[in-house]
Amino acid sequence: MALDVASRARFNLERAAVLLLDETQLGMSILVQIVTGLGAKQLYRCASLEEAKAAATEHEIDIAIVDAMAPEGKGYDFVEWLRREAQEPNCYAPVLITTAHTPASDIVRARDCGGHFIIKKPIAPIVMLERIIWVAKAGRPFLFTGTYVGPDRRFRDEGPPDGIGRRREDIARAESAAKAAAEIATHDIETPPERSAAS
Amino acid sequence: MTSVRFVFPKPRLNELLRTPGGLPVAEAIENARKNLEAIKPTCTAELLALLELSEAGFWNLKNDFDDAALEELYAIAVKGIGAGEVCGVANVDVALTSFCDLLDHLRTLKRFDREAVGVHVRAWRLLMSSELPGAGAKQVLDGLLKVSGRYAAEVAAAV
Repeated sequence: MALDVASRARFNLERAAVLLLDETQLGMSILVQIVTGLGAKQLYRCASLEEAKAAATEHEIDIAIVDAMAPEGKGYDFVEWLRREAQEPNCYAPVLITTAHTPASDIVRARDCGGHFIIKKPIAPIVMLERIIWVAKAGRPFLFTGTYVGPDRRFRDEGPPDGIGRRREDIARAESAAKAAAEIATHDIETPPERSAAS
Repeated sequence: MTSVRFVFPKPRLNELLRTPGGLPVAEAIENARKNLEAIKPTCTAELLALLELSEAGFWNLKNDFDDAALEELYAIAVKGIGAGEVCGVANVDVALTSFCDLLDHLRTLKRFDREAVGVHVRAWRLLMSSELPGAGAKQVLDGLLKVSGRYAAEVAAAV
């Protein structure tokens, strides 16, 4: 996923409607400089939850970049509102949450509010661009349950812990793989490799 | 029974990013860097203003646990995180993250440690100077992380 900062690949944010929410002038200023540098022209700058709700009600947005606004975490409230109350297509808009620090009491809220990605400050422009491209391409399904509305969080299949599942057949498969590996290892010790592989 | 519904939306953003024109990645990143460079003076002034608020907040602290006062200090420190990088004093971001960790842990434990809070406020002032040698800054940060880490361990043990 890492983008090369020297890449000549092109992307176009000119026509994308970007909603920015940050209650501090300092945070908003940094965010604006980054996204305008990346080429975004149509910005809705919101300094409060109410302004953000109004912007998302009146305009179609293509991406929202929302500060968590610790310690109250009003940014999470906005994302929850967007997912549950806003009209289509805004309710499905990609959301990047920026956070300076997440208090322990807000970790679950941050996970469950319905954002696509959480970006820790300080934000490097390349990281912001990588995440924008990622959320645009990902095409993750949206999940509606009684307790959660937002992009499906199961987007990365890393398999079971330690690579071994808990089903009987998983354990049997792991045992036979371990046995085969042991046989190969014994064979390798007896016959030294002719050539070492460069990685 | 809980009902679960899946929707497969097609965000317009993907199409927009691919429309002709736009910028090469390298140029966009350079533009963003220049933009951030342009706001460095105002950013530094705002970060210093936050530091002064934090110093005043520290001096007004009572000698026992005061959740509201700690929350106020947290609200000041958290606003500064991210600005250090822009102002060319990236270590300030690390120090402020440690400060926010500390304040969060103290609030969770309902404890007060004037010295731990004070050392973070003084370090913030010290790290604002770009003349501080790298080794010295590293020592300061290591010390701060040790202080906040001590309370992190207590919080973890209490959970």
